[in-house]
Amino acid sequence: MAIVEFKEVTRIYTSGDHEQKALDNVNFTLEEGKFVVILGPSGAGKSTLLNMLGGLDSPTSGTIKVNGKDISTLSNNELADYRASTVGFVFQFYNLIPTLTVYENVALVKEISKDSLDPKKMIAEVGLTDHLQNFPAELSGGEQQRVSIARALAKNPKILLCDEPTGALDSETGVLVLKLLLFMARNYGKTIVIVTHNQSIAKMADVVIRVKNGKIKSYEEQANPMSAEEVEW
Amino acid sequence: MLIRKLYRTAWRYKSQFLSMIIMISIGVGIFLGFNMEWKSLEIDAMNFLEDTKYADFRLYEEGGFSKEDVRAIQDISGVEAATRYLSVNVAVKDAKKSVALNVSENYTVSTMLVMEGEAYDEDVDGIWLSDKFAIANDFSLGDTMTLTYAGAEITGEIIGLVKSGENMICVADANQLMPDYETFGFAYISPKKLEKTLGFAFYPQINVISHMEKSQLENAVKDALGRTILVTDKDVHTPYAGVMSEVEEGKTMGSILPVLFLAIGILTMVTTMHRIAANEKVQIGTLKALGFRDKKILLHYTSYGLVIGLLGTLLGVTLGYFVASLIVSPTGMMGTYLDLPDWSLTIPGFCIPVMAVTVGMLTLISYLSVKKMLKGTAADALRPYAPKAMKKSVLEKLPFWENLPFATKWNVRDILRHKSRSAMTLVGVVGCMLLLVGGLGMKDTMASFMVMLDEDISNYTTKINISDAADNEAVKELATQVNGDWLASTGISYEGNTISLEIYRKDNKKIRFLSEDNELMELGDEGVYLCLRLADTADIGDTIEFSPYGSEETYQVKVAGYVRSLMSECIIMTEKYADSVGMEYHIGAVYTDVTQDDIEDSDLISDKQDKDTIMDTYDTFMEIMNLMVIIFVVAAVVLGTVVLYNLGVMSYVERYRELATLKVLGYRDKHIGKLLISQNIWLTIIGVLIGLPAGVGVLYVLITSLVSEYELCLTLGVLTYSVSILLTFGVSLMVGFMVARKNQKIDMVEALKCAE
Repeated sequence: MAIVEFKEVTRIYTSGDHEQKALDNVNFTLEEGKFVVILGPSGAGKSTLLNMLGGLDSPTSGTIKVNGKDISTLSNNELADYRASTVGFVFQFYNLIPTLTVYENVALVKEISKDSLDPKKMIAEVGLTDHLQNFPAELSGGEQQRVSIARALAKNPKILLCDEPTGALDSETGVLVLKLLLFMARNYGKTIVIVTHNQSIAKMADVVIRVKNGKIKSYEEQANPMSAEEVEW
Repeated sequence: MLIRKLYRTAWRYKSQFLSMIIMISIGVGIFLGFNMEWKSLEIDAMNFLEDTKYADFRLYEEGGFSKEDVRAIQDISGVEAATRYLSVNVAVKDAKKSVALNVSENYTVSTMLVMEGEAYDEDVDGIWLSDKFAIANDFSLGDTMTLTYAGAEITGEIIGLVKSGENMICVADANQLMPDYETFGFAYISPKKLEKTLGFAFYPQINVISHMEKSQLENAVKDALGRTILVTDKDVHTPYAGVMSEVEEGKTMGSILPVLFLAIGILTMVTTMHRIAANEKVQIGTLKALGFRDKKILLHYTSYGLVIGLLGTLLGVTLGYFVASLIVSPTGMMGTYLDLPDWSLTIPGFCIPVMAVTVGMLTLISYLSVKKMLKGTAADALRPYAPKAMKKSVLEKLPFWENLPFATKWNVRDILRHKSRSAMTLVGVVGCMLLLVGGLGMKDTMASFMVMLDEDISNYTTKINISDAADNEAVKELATQVNGDWLASTGISYEGNTISLEIYRKDNKKIRFLSEDNELMELGDEGVYLCLRLADTADIGDTIEFSPYGSEETYQVKVAGYVRSLMSECIIMTEKYADSVGMEYHIGAVYTDVTQDDIEDSDLISDKQDKDTIMDTYDTFMEIMNLMVIIFVVAAVVLGTVVLYNLGVMSYVERYRELATLKVLGYRDKHIGKLLISQNIWLTIIGVLIGLPAGVGVLYVLITSLVSEYELCLTLGVLTYSVSILLTFGVSLMVGFMVARKNQKIDMVEALKCAE
């Protein structure tokens, strides 16, 4: 079943007289439970695509259906609810709340998500039980990214969206984080979409979508994706 | 090029720049305004007093001084000038008005300033009338007016409109708080006209200009005249004492509130500049990496402080002149109190360095803020500013901490993490609260004072002022006739100070007395009652000693209690007690419920006043009070709004990423707004809890600084408390909503791109 459906999605940014087409008539669908990598050079429009999917931004024209629901015309509050219930984000720079502890950062989602998962359990899953009471600043980059994965998954979303999740990490830590991401997504049956310019990550994906100049350049399904260990970094 | 950057940066941080400029100009403006007020008042009034040869000393003798007496006084070495003088309240015929009639025998002391009409000439047979009284009562040059004094009529043409130092504060007696030119003014006539009317010369006063000490003069007068004479210096004479107490009040006012405003302005600058410098850190680093020298970058950013300081000070000076002119101008608050020919505004000398130091400090603040960001290599400077890492506070050890909702924890930690910002918010709220409680409380206090005076103490309809020459027995008879009570008041020396002794017949309860607790009390006949200002000088049951002015005699009396004397600093006794200790006195006023028109004129009576007319003179006073309250309330709201908005925006900017994260997670705008506002509310609650007692404290200081004039009783109505608290919360909430509304504009995508 298609969980994501982009139909003729165009996004134009205007600043003054200048118009920039970040997405130009984009069409694709994604199946539930797949590991999708969106690949492209910087400025290609891949982050815009992810932001549309995550309900952070709305298209100028076209429709985006997620789980059968059109999200392109939602109001601000409806979009907030959509983000709370359907998608989880993992960012390049983790975006944890510096004044909350590891536990609190994850437990935060209980306030907005109706069927959230147990924060302690999620933290245990990412191997940070010893750091429950630490503040983000007391953790390494990899550890912080693990907290943000725990937070994203604690909402129990349908789709996990990751924007350069290993961008700020050294390659060794990056592999560990990717492995964890994949393991968690598979374990909890989530669709996972990673935006990156790192070709290596693409080798692990079920689906690779290449984006250039706001357009889909290729849509490729990989029958036998590599595991994280197999990929050369 | 950097100049262009200055404009653009200023535009980018327009709300911060604007709020800094506003705070600085309010700080400087209020500081300057209040200090200019007392300084200008002092200079303008003193110049006027000098110009009209205001007397330094007044010698009194009820029976009048002779020509030989004044000659002897003039011969005292150290006396620059002396004249026999008459100042007496007389009625304007066929009008319920009176004037202080002034005669300066040789016109060397206590002269007048002719604003319009003829200059003074002792041979001229006319009346020089107070110009303000003339305007208020439609008298003009050439009109004829008739005054009645001790049964005689003084008629003359108004030939000059004048002002005079002796009547600079034109009140009928100490019970009148504010001049009311519709009912009371003053007039001068020549000594020749006085003698022609009365048939004899009568001068119960000698006015003296001299730089001698009072005790020196007293001894010299005693040697010269061979008897003890009551000598008072200008410190106890209404015009001089009134101005000086205004000046003193001005100094008090000029030192508490303005300094608070100035301090808040500078503190706002510290937090804001630091924040701007932190936000600009990457730009600072870029400039550094481009090869700009530290000095040049420092100069650039320091110029922000300088520009803000200069602009703020410039606006502040304008505001200062405005504030001062609200008070010191013919149409301002003081215009109703003082009758001055010149109302120039003067900036006190010390204000210039204070303003220079303020600008210097602001410049230094921005210099230091930037210096911190420039430390180390260009690469260090390029890294964005990182706020202090989070540490656990003591609060988190509390058992219930874990159970608090995350929003609470978040806000508590945020408050502790940004201590200076939180402290500044508190200062803003406390300041707002303090001004409200102070301003409204002052009004409450004065209103309750008025009620006490009108309803509790003054239980009469008409006050009959008794002429100086009247015989006590005849006056007592008059009092009995009108079912009235009477007061005899005389100056006494007690513990080295000149105060008044008030002797009452109070059988008809036309004048009543208040205890320390503001309860009506009965005076007993077994001793004297001290006003609260004198309460420290003796305990109940003690024997105290005083001597009436102009008398060698001392009296020893027992202290029977204390009484709240709203106005005069005095010792009070009943007629019976006065008789039992053998006090001599002269009755000055009779209080009765008989209306003015039903009291027959006689030579006992110098004039009559309705209580309502007396109370009306307080209206102006209350109007001034109301204006002050409005200024306080406006200042409070402006202060609260500007400080809180500035800090709110800062807090919002600082937490932009966190807020964006929450938004991405799926928090609704309203939810995030609530988070922001709840922090404001907590800080407001704490601020109110501090500000309330602090406001009462400031009010107490203000009221005690007035205590030499009135015995005010600190009164705060429920309404004052509720209005102050509600208004403070209102300001805080309004600002909170203004800031919270911004979170709708958070650009989640932008905010999450950059590294922390």
